[in-house]
Amino acid sequence: MKRRKFVKLLASTPLVSSLTAENSLAETTPHIVTTPHVEPARVVPKFKIATPFKPAAVPGMPGPYPGRVISVKAQNSLSEDGLKFNDEVIREMMERGMRALTGEKQTIDAWRRFIKPDDVVGIKVNAGGRPWVVSSPPIVAETVRNLMAVGVKPSNIYVYERFQDQMDSINYAQYLPPEVVITTAERQNRSIDNGGYDPLVYAEADLFGEDDTRSCMTQFVSRTLTKIINIPNMKDHGATGATGCLKNIAYGSFSNVARTHYKGVSHTYSFVGTLAAIEPLRSRTVLQIMDGLRGVWHLGPFAETLKYVFFPRTIQFGTDPVAIDRLLLDTIDDERKRHGAISIWNRDEKTLDFNNGKRRDEDPNTNIIIREPGHVEYAGKLGLGVHELEKIRVEEIVL
Amino acid sequence: MSNMTEIKRQKAKGKGQKFSTLFSPSALTTTAQAVLRRAACFTFAFCFLPFAFCLNQTSAQSRTALPILFWSQSIETAASLKQAGIERIAVTPSSVAAWRSAGFDAIALSEAELTKREKLLTPKLAGRGANVASATRRPWIDANGWRLLRNPSGKFFYDLMGAALGKSVLAAAEAFAYQADAVIKLDASELAAFGEMLKLLRTLPNEPQTNVADIGVIDDGSPLVGEVMNLFTRRNLMFQPTKAPLKQARLNIKLGTKAYPESAAADPSEFALRIRRELGDEHRSLRVYGAEIVICRLTSDGKTARLHLLNYSGREVDSLRISVRGRYDIVAMQTSEYGKQTPADLSLTSDATEFSLPRLGAYGWIELKHLH
Repeated sequence: MKRRKFVKLLASTPLVSSLTAENSLAETTPHIVTTPHVEPARVVPKFKIATPFKPAAVPGMPGPYPGRVISVKAQNSLSEDGLKFNDEVIREMMERGMRALTGEKQTIDAWRRFIKPDDVVGIKVNAGGRPWVVSSPPIVAETVRNLMAVGVKPSNIYVYERFQDQMDSINYAQYLPPEVVITTAERQNRSIDNGGYDPLVYAEADLFGEDDTRSCMTQFVSRTLTKIINIPNMKDHGATGATGCLKNIAYGSFSNVARTHYKGVSHTYSFVGTLAAIEPLRSRTVLQIMDGLRGVWHLGPFAETLKYVFFPRTIQFGTDPVAIDRLLLDTIDDERKRHGAISIWNRDEKTLDFNNGKRRDEDPNTNIIIREPGHVEYAGKLGLGVHELEKIRVEEIVL
Repeated sequence: MSNMTEIKRQKAKGKGQKFSTLFSPSALTTTAQAVLRRAACFTFAFCFLPFAFCLNQTSAQSRTALPILFWSQSIETAASLKQAGIERIAVTPSSVAAWRSAGFDAIALSEAELTKREKLLTPKLAGRGANVASATRRPWIDANGWRLLRNPSGKFFYDLMGAALGKSVLAAAEAFAYQADAVIKLDASELAAFGEMLKLLRTLPNEPQTNVADIGVIDDGSPLVGEVMNLFTRRNLMFQPTKAPLKQARLNIKLGTKAYPESAAADPSEFALRIRRELGDEHRSLRVYGAEIVICRLTSDGKTARLHLLNYSGREVDSLRISVRGRYDIVAMQTSEYGKQTPADLSLTSDATEFSLPRLGAYGWIELKHLH
């Protein structure tokens, strides 16, 4: 080797190697997948994943309790009409649920299983279903109270969501200590606020020929938080069938995700799980608290009207988002059946009127996208949890 | 620039510059300066662009390409122009002397001459707003880049009378980015914004460079090919209009051939997508992430590359991610509303340079130095 070439190599090596280490790229090859429920064979897009983070020894998802769900139901958790919270009952539901999940006798010890005093903790709420089906303020407040009891500084607690306009409309601040940080990645859903996202952690795929093919992780997930508690709701979803733990943590922590639906077709089947599995999100999301006090069985993820709101009066606890969401699919589908609406598994194109949101709003038997409830099973196959019903162990507590 | 295909603009119609062209409002430099620029460009082309496709430098490239204000109001408005920092104007022949006496660099241009120029669209986001931008609802943009690329020696005219406030900033940036010979007619209320933009543009190096292109578009001058080029511009697919296939281009597109029948371009948007996929995103000289309302122009002289960013949304873009094929140092970043910027999250791989521009208003200008 000539000296000049050697010197050149020497000079370039540290930079190249450090960049390689920081930007590990993994690619998945397109493949055909089938689900047991219905016919479809789907083409899974080719995803390029970029992240400098390695998984934890025990990733938060599925965590220490794969396939285990604690379901706590209390009829009086809400007022009779379902519009008001009963804070004391909700606190008891939280305590019972956490103790049952961990087997601890003291609630504080249950929380210590997941959180250490020096953690910087994110609470991923869901504000998209405002005003009726959002992460309930008493559940969020009780979570914060327990984190502080563990020793986490309130200034190290971040209640977060993607869009500020949604967060503002709920005003969590009035329920929380003033030092708790309430933050969002974007002002609103308009695709030009990227400063809250990490350009070095992303999933890239050309789904429908969109110009911007990347979805980047929120910066406070990748650069600030050490642990995340996920508080989704029980909601119907026009593209995924139902939205719970997986979609709340995945689509709520990445940019540019609305691109997965186009003209009645959705790539949510593979994209939800793919995003949830990206590090450090997967490792840091250590606890799932499914807020099922209220739910929405049609028109989700939105709930601007009470027309489709129902009241399961339930909170579920676990570390396995797939198991909780597998139960959710049945919850939403059963509720739809009760109202004579088509199943979330229905793929009949006769029900599809993709350009007619108004008709969908008024008629629960109209889809604007072929729903993809199979996204839960897909996430299970990615190792995020247990999707087989027969393997999911549910402990029900009724107060 | 080993990973880029650089193609010079088409040869201008007619080799020699006519006397009238040299002294038209667009001829912003002296003949001597133009000759020097031309020589300099050839030096770059032959010394640093071994693979570049170099044609004669055109007269259109041999100027600083600052757009000029067409001002039909009376001399009494001189103070408002001076206050806006506007010193060069095109005025009706009968008023030239008066404006020159008032200290302006005034050039005669009649209304008739003005309207003979090719009228451009008011650059803007049309129809849907940026708040609904997504793959399912791609916003439509009224942009002129493809017209300016198609006719580098053309004479253009923006009529911004009655246009929304601030449109002159984008029009000036468009003309500057494509080094177009453009005259802008605007309302008095727009003078301050326009003057401020000119002030910035005067400080930015913009000597002629070659257009970076991945695609050669055989241009028969038809509206259909024009619409295809429009969509290529819109999607930031770097192309060069040409009369014959370009050896250095990864793809050459000629409509009406077996590979690309005219029917294939009946839906230009779908056609642009097809071409993008034939090219392969990984082979594109430029990618932009984080906004679908920013149109870019990339030029190079082999040593430096220059990136012009035109934001049509009317709103600030926060942290725009840019990927340029090739390894570069980022020498300077300037923006129209937010001044000098520092690149964030720089990532240099074996064949690409990625970085974030923290804030982008209507216009951004980035200079990159090739790492050989």
